[in-house]
Amino acid sequence: MAEFSFQLKKVSKRFIKGKDTITIFDNLDLDIPAQDYVAIMGPSGSGKTTLLNVLGGIDRITSGEIQFDGKRVDKLDEGQLSRWRAANIGFIFQFYNLMPVLTAAQNVELPLLLTKLSSRERRRNVETALQLVGLADRAKHYPREMSGGQQQRVAIARAIVSDPKVLLCDEPTGDLDRATADEVLDILALLNKQHGKTVIVVTHDPEAARHAKRTLHLNKGVFVERTALA
Amino acid sequence: MNHAVLVAKNLGRRKLRTALMLIAIFIAFLLFAALEAFLHGINAGESNSAANRLVSVNKINFTVPLPISYLERIKGVKGVVHALPQSWFGGYFQDPKNVLFMFAVDPAEYVNVYPNTSMPPGQNEAWINDRIGLAVGRVTAEKYGWKVGQHIPVSSNIFSRADGSHTWEFNIDAIFSTPDANREGLVLMSHKYFDDTVTFAKDTTSMIVFTTSSVALNDSIEKTIDGMFANSPYETSTDTAAAFNKQFTSQLGNLTLIITLVVSTAFAAILLIVGNTMMMSVRERTREIGVLKTLGFSGPVISMQVLAESLLLSLIGALLGLGFAAGALSAARKALEGFNIIGVNVTVPILAAGVGLAVLLGLVTGAVPAWAGLRLKIVAALGRH
Amino acid sequence: MGSTTRQAFAIADMNVRSIPQRFWMSLSTVVAIALVVTVLLAFLAMANGLSQSQKNAGSPDIAILMRDGAGSEINSVVTREQGMLIEEAPGVARADGKPLVSGELYIVVDGKARSTGLSANLPLRGLSEQGLALRHGVHITEGRMLRPGTNEIVVGRGVVREFLGFEVGKTLRFGQSSWTVVGIFEDGGTVRESELWADVGVVQSAFNRLNAFQTFRARLNSPGDIVALKRYNDADPRLKLSVQTEAEYFGEQAKASRGILILGWILAIVMSIGALAGALNTMYSSVAARGREIATLRAIGFGGFATFVGTLVEALILALAGGIVGVLAATLIFHGFTAKTLGSNFTQIVFTFRVTPALTVTALVLALSVGLVGGLLPAWRAARLPIVGGLGDE
Repeated sequence: MAEFSFQLKKVSKRFIKGKDTITIFDNLDLDIPAQDYVAIMGPSGSGKTTLLNVLGGIDRITSGEIQFDGKRVDKLDEGQLSRWRAANIGFIFQFYNLMPVLTAAQNVELPLLLTKLSSRERRRNVETALQLVGLADRAKHYPREMSGGQQQRVAIARAIVSDPKVLLCDEPTGDLDRATADEVLDILALLNKQHGKTVIVVTHDPEAARHAKRTLHLNKGVFVERTALA
Repeated sequence: MNHAVLVAKNLGRRKLRTALMLIAIFIAFLLFAALEAFLHGINAGESNSAANRLVSVNKINFTVPLPISYLERIKGVKGVVHALPQSWFGGYFQDPKNVLFMFAVDPAEYVNVYPNTSMPPGQNEAWINDRIGLAVGRVTAEKYGWKVGQHIPVSSNIFSRADGSHTWEFNIDAIFSTPDANREGLVLMSHKYFDDTVTFAKDTTSMIVFTTSSVALNDSIEKTIDGMFANSPYETSTDTAAAFNKQFTSQLGNLTLIITLVVSTAFAAILLIVGNTMMMSVRERTREIGVLKTLGFSGPVISMQVLAESLLLSLIGALLGLGFAAGALSAARKALEGFNIIGVNVTVPILAAGVGLAVLLGLVTGAVPAWAGLRLKIVAALGRH
Repeated sequence: MGSTTRQAFAIADMNVRSIPQRFWMSLSTVVAIALVVTVLLAFLAMANGLSQSQKNAGSPDIAILMRDGAGSEINSVVTREQGMLIEEAPGVARADGKPLVSGELYIVVDGKARSTGLSANLPLRGLSEQGLALRHGVHITEGRMLRPGTNEIVVGRGVVREFLGFEVGKTLRFGQSSWTVVGIFEDGGTVRESELWADVGVVQSAFNRLNAFQTFRARLNSPGDIVALKRYNDADPRLKLSVQTEAEYFGEQAKASRGILILGWILAIVMSIGALAGALNTMYSSVAARGREIATLRAIGFGGFATFVGTLVEALILALAGGIVGVLAATLIFHGFTAKTLGSNFTQIVFTFRVTPALTVTALVLALSVGLVGGLLPAWRAARLPIVGGLGDE
């Protein structure tokens, strides 16, 4: 395994709005070692969600280089990016984004449809993922039958079912109460410590930052790092 | 679960809406199948006439008779194989309302001139040898419950007998069937019996129907025959049986155009309704599509799913509509035959055309939403609340 | 009452104003209903035109006599002797001492249709001198009336319009005989305009039908005299003909238009079901799309009934728009369109499509019915939207 999950070199993201050019970040450098657990915090509009999107390949950079596992990924075309993303990245969103017409198990199975696994193998992986998040007994329930915390855990199961190296989380606890949020954060920590996944969390929640190994503060596209206490 | 299940689940997203779409599609295809079947019945005469069967009628109009002497002269023309006289008798059975499509023909030649007529063994011979015998088409026989061996009276409101009566007695000697729906309702008597017993119209025939040895000779034979009788008191007009039948349908006043217009308008309306709904449905799923793309589902895969969805919807609705039309018409066949409406079937070509249309409909209604799904930018999709 | 009405108006107003936001969906419903209306009106106009052409053709004071059971003229045979008996019958009107009775012979001839070039059957009617007098409302509009005993022919306006070669001055050949067109007659668009008229004696000799007639027409002194004529007919064993007034006879013949009427309604209803599905869909989406709006209104204090009415009005407006478009389309495309079809005598009847105000109303009623049914359930749902749920996120 490479030393760094991600390396951003002089990455800029700008876009044109009418007559103005808006710069999200300019010449940003960032190294994220493998198996890191980093929280990215900052005020609204600081660009942290854009950073996450760019890392996950769902948004393009204007200039610079992004390396994943030592290989450049910013120049991949859409099709290649899709495949790369399916294999390496797991996304977790603030509003869970589960498909309401599918059961929990079916939602978790979605990423596996893109693989060549047999139906039996898919089912096994889904069971494992659901067990890991503690929802094996809810496999056949629909999202509308579950609480917010449960839905988020299903989303996590979906994110890890194809065993990606990296988890990108956008405000994963933003919609949850304290107790449920902590449950979710514990799972993320578990995935990082026991399963060696690199976890990058964008958040407003200071608790989430405390679960991480280090915290980066992003303000107007510039980093300030503060290491976790103890 | 697999891609197919995903597509089906998406259709089941809003059950009421999907049901309404299915109803609309069902109606459109029901109309299509029913109207096409109706057209098929009407045009049956044209398609079922053998290419080498010709008809000679009086040039003025087929309701004006020809002299019976013309029969031998036509038989003498080179290339004419079998010929028979065919005169409209048009009687009724018991009640004047029970109109019969009845002709007087030469029984010995009937099967020769109309080869796709089948009768059980022995019946054709019995008919040929019985002066007062009748050959009845299967449809009419079933309508009145007639059986071979029965003795029935037929009356005419056109012809009368020497003794002043209008009723003829017949034996039913044969019941025939034929793929030609137009002929399966006919009742056939012997022309000799007809000629011997009527008070007027003796020595005449309504038309002369004959076969040629080769289709290539048709044109020259037509010219020869019409030339033979040109400038005589009874001029002829000779044409293929198919062309002769066509004049009836053409006189119904361009039914094909009307039916095509009705079906097209129905489909246009359905297209708009279903297309819009698909568009709406995909738009509602913008965020979900964005999420699927983050999971690694590529643009093309997403569009395929949308197209599969619209195709599935279209095909289910179409098959229901086509099937219902086929079933209903099949069940109503007896009732329709009672009204002398025959050959109204949802044929295999109609079904195939229907399925083809369904595929087209599915593709067209899914095209724009599929394109939208393909081009959807993940960031924009996720951003929409 | 005032408050609810005002509320309903306000909601209806908002709903209708917001239609442009759901433009394509609403348009598809309008188009679907318009198409249903167009199809229905086309068939209604066809049936109307066909039945008009036949209904007006019959007078209640002209008797028509045919062989019993003939059903229609072409199947009938009446002899000269029977004709003479009819001339002596009670109730038959006379002019200058001569009975107004016309023996007629009906021969089917071919004409070439203008539109298709294909042959079609046309009726050549031989009538006697009294024949014209027996047809009220017929007048020569071009040329002149034919002279008895000659090969002259007058032609109905419908024939000239739809078929080739029947203009004044043209020569026609049927079989061995030649005829000259000397005039064109009109009869208010009735079925008579689809006929060719000539002298009956000349027709008889040209077609070898000496002494044979198919029908006799007689002018009655009054419509009630048909009874006396019938009694006279039944009493004489040499007659035994079928006796009807022309009005009755043509009424029977108008059955063809009934078939078209039935077909038209069946098609319209079937298509309406499809349009209904579309309308329901549009209205449900409308209610769903404005869920928050509706909930807000309810929270403010607008009543459920007003919401119901307001939503229903939206559906009705769409349906009315569709109906009007359909009526306009049908009128523009079909009204006045001349067509021809096979009549009961195996000959062509020329008729005109007629879209009348009465038919328009019928079609609009259908459109509004679709709108009503299509709007009812969604309006009900709108009225019962839970206020709290509706205000939340989707």
